[in-house]
Amino acid sequence: MPAAPLLEVHDLSRSFGPTQALRGVSLSVDRGGILGLAGENGAGKSTLIKILCGVHRQDAGRMLFEGRLHAPRDPAEAERAGISVFHQEIPICPDLSVAANVFLGPRMPRRGPFPDWRAMEARCVELYATLLGEQIDPRRLIRTCTAAEKQLALLVRVLSREARLVVLDEPTTALTPPEVDRLFAIIRRLRGQGITFLFISHMLEELMQLSDRIVVLRDGLKVGELSREEFEARRLSALIAGRTLALTARTTTAHGPVRLAARALSSPGAFENVSFEVLEGEVLGVAGLQGSGRSALVRALFGAPPAASGQIRIDGAPVVIGRPDQAIRLGIGYVPEDRKTLGLFDELDVKLNVCMAGLSGLSRHGWLDTGRLRAAAGRMRDRLRIKAESVDAPIRGLSGGNQQKVLISRWLSLRPRILLLNEPTRGVDVGAKHEIVELISGLAAEGCAVVASSSELEELLQLSNRVLVLNRGRVVAELSGSLATKDRVILAATT
Amino acid sequence: MEVALPAGRRFAALRRLFGLRDVGVLVAAVLIAAFFAAITPSFLTAYNLFNILRQTAELGIIAMAMTVVIVAGEFDLSVGAIYAVTGVVAGVLAGRHEGNIWLAALAGMAAAVLLGLVNAVLIATTRINSFIATLSTMMVYRGIAMVLSQGQPISFPLSFFMDLFGRAEIGGLLPVPVLWFAGWGVLSYLFLHRTTLGVRFFATGGNREAADLAGIRTARVKTIAFLYTALASGLAALISLSFLKTVTPTQGTGLELEAIAAAVIGGTAMSGGVGSIVGTFLGTFIMAEVRTGLVLLGTDAYVQDAFVGLVIALAVIVNVRLSMRRR
Repeated sequence: MPAAPLLEVHDLSRSFGPTQALRGVSLSVDRGGILGLAGENGAGKSTLIKILCGVHRQDAGRMLFEGRLHAPRDPAEAERAGISVFHQEIPICPDLSVAANVFLGPRMPRRGPFPDWRAMEARCVELYATLLGEQIDPRRLIRTCTAAEKQLALLVRVLSREARLVVLDEPTTALTPPEVDRLFAIIRRLRGQGITFLFISHMLEELMQLSDRIVVLRDGLKVGELSREEFEARRLSALIAGRTLALTARTTTAHGPVRLAARALSSPGAFENVSFEVLEGEVLGVAGLQGSGRSALVRALFGAPPAASGQIRIDGAPVVIGRPDQAIRLGIGYVPEDRKTLGLFDELDVKLNVCMAGLSGLSRHGWLDTGRLRAAAGRMRDRLRIKAESVDAPIRGLSGGNQQKVLISRWLSLRPRILLLNEPTRGVDVGAKHEIVELISGLAAEGCAVVASSSELEELLQLSNRVLVLNRGRVVAELSGSLATKDRVILAATT
Repeated sequence: MEVALPAGRRFAALRRLFGLRDVGVLVAAVLIAAFFAAITPSFLTAYNLFNILRQTAELGIIAMAMTVVIVAGEFDLSVGAIYAVTGVVAGVLAGRHEGNIWLAALAGMAAAVLLGLVNAVLIATTRINSFIATLSTMMVYRGIAMVLSQGQPISFPLSFFMDLFGRAEIGGLLPVPVLWFAGWGVLSYLFLHRTTLGVRFFATGGNREAADLAGIRTARVKTIAFLYTALASGLAALISLSFLKTVTPTQGTGLELEAIAAAVIGGTAMSGGVGSIVGTFLGTFIMAEVRTGLVLLGTDAYVQDAFVGLVIALAVIVNVRLSMRRR
């Protein structure tokens, strides 16, 4: 009889308001195994992990860890039980040494009231050698370490606290290919020592390379479980995409002249040698995983910050876009990816948030003309059906979808010739999502050239005439019309 | 969630002048005045009120400009030192070398604007935190005032200039510094609350990244704010030298902190993006009425600062509570 699995998850469900984030998901992880977890954004991966490590509580279902009921009340309890999570952002103290970061916490070795540095450093070297098979200078400051070295320090930290199940949540986003290989070698070595891993990644190749089995989630449901011999990128991407597999970009093609042309844009560490054209009245979608350079590329077109090299032409004429105000003068608008930190002015009212980029045009010789501001904001409110009590109401009182509409209207009121959007539908409800997609399509129909980047593929496909797929900073595919299917895009972005 | 008050249009004009926060400060100012009036009858006389305003005019002028800088997300600790340099430059030219007072005053103002520009350029090019940057320029500028004056006070001969900026009393009752205070107040109000540049101060201090992405040249906006505090310091120095007929290189020591205190009592948020000229005016007034009231009560002069300190703490606690409730 085979040994009992280390972790068993039975019929786990959880909803947040009206959204059902997890619907009766069951899975098990064998001791010393590596289970891959795949799925789009919002498929339920994070929710599952958060329940596992005690951040959220499930509505139904139960978990068994090492044969005992596992119901952690908080992350500390999960960690005591032997489960550690590795997030994309690494919680470390940059101005402390590697050894201090490994031992930070209540169980730091000490001599009386003083930390016992010598013991810590010796133990740190030993841990690195036995666990990772690596040599380390324990006195090095974490600040001077690379992202990969920081991860290893964190890995040693959790293993020194007897973690038996380590959850790796997108561990490779910040790593270079050789660093990924090194991390994988270390993970395999640790598996040999009996450590079990749950591995989450958007990169299908990495999942297939490392995992023994892969579980695919979609819309909160477990839609597939593949064992090693069944691994195939096409099959995985089909499972991830699901019924919307055949969803394609809009088939209507734009025929206008070229509005925006980018030639060989490069920005070290973000994207390389990217060229494309956008026609008048066309929506170009930019797809790619987080860290693929998708969002940096769109920002570069707005000069925030500009690309390091390359050329941009508008209506055939070369232009210099070094700062946002220069871009605005050229008729470009930009909706940023995070409206809270990059878009909205929390302390100001709706009308000023709407009119912020066009204040000069709505003033009389520098004097505010409240009447004109109110009228301009009112027109936008009616056109975009922004639900706000009044244009004088504070922006904070609006829902996410309405705040997003305010941000889009900031550019609409300037009648832009080119509109750039980063994550136009992030954090808005389904109804508002639909309205925003319609709105952008309408803008394009009026002749505006649109470049939209989004991690939400379905919206992106609904929106775009053509899709540019970025992978590790390079354009790997350009798909238009019916050729731009969801599974093709996923395949190009993830392999 | 805060909802617009369903008050009628009648109050619209009043509400535009007084934000919701300002009403709270106004109530506090009135309550404090009522308290002192109840125990010392001489408190609530026209003479005393104008006296309070005259005494606090210089601080008030600087505090209003400080409000602009704080709203734009920065601090200017060098205002007191610029105030001293302006006075000393005018004093050396007109007092010691018996030059024309008008030209001397102009030179003083030019010096103030130049020092403000140094602050702005330093902060814009090096991106040092303005608190540290102006702490250092505060000491440098104070040193300049000491060197130029040789550490000695300088007196001026009486002239029409002195009357115009500090000594005249209109109708034998209204001291002219109060008019300058009022004029600067109206100017600052229009500047911060009625111009597009004013909105850009709020945007820059409220969310600098978002302001950059809305095409606002935030470095330029901050430069203008630093020039405005320098200008205010210069004007305050002219009022002071006119009233006292003398300047000292140590004048205005600690003025920067009093100006920040007045702004904070008036509801200005230290994190930027929130503040009002009306609030700061009231904040200045509250500090002055507490001081004067305590004098009239016959309190020990040393106790007064402690009381003002308590007022600041109280105002900040109320402000934090208010902004917490709105989140």
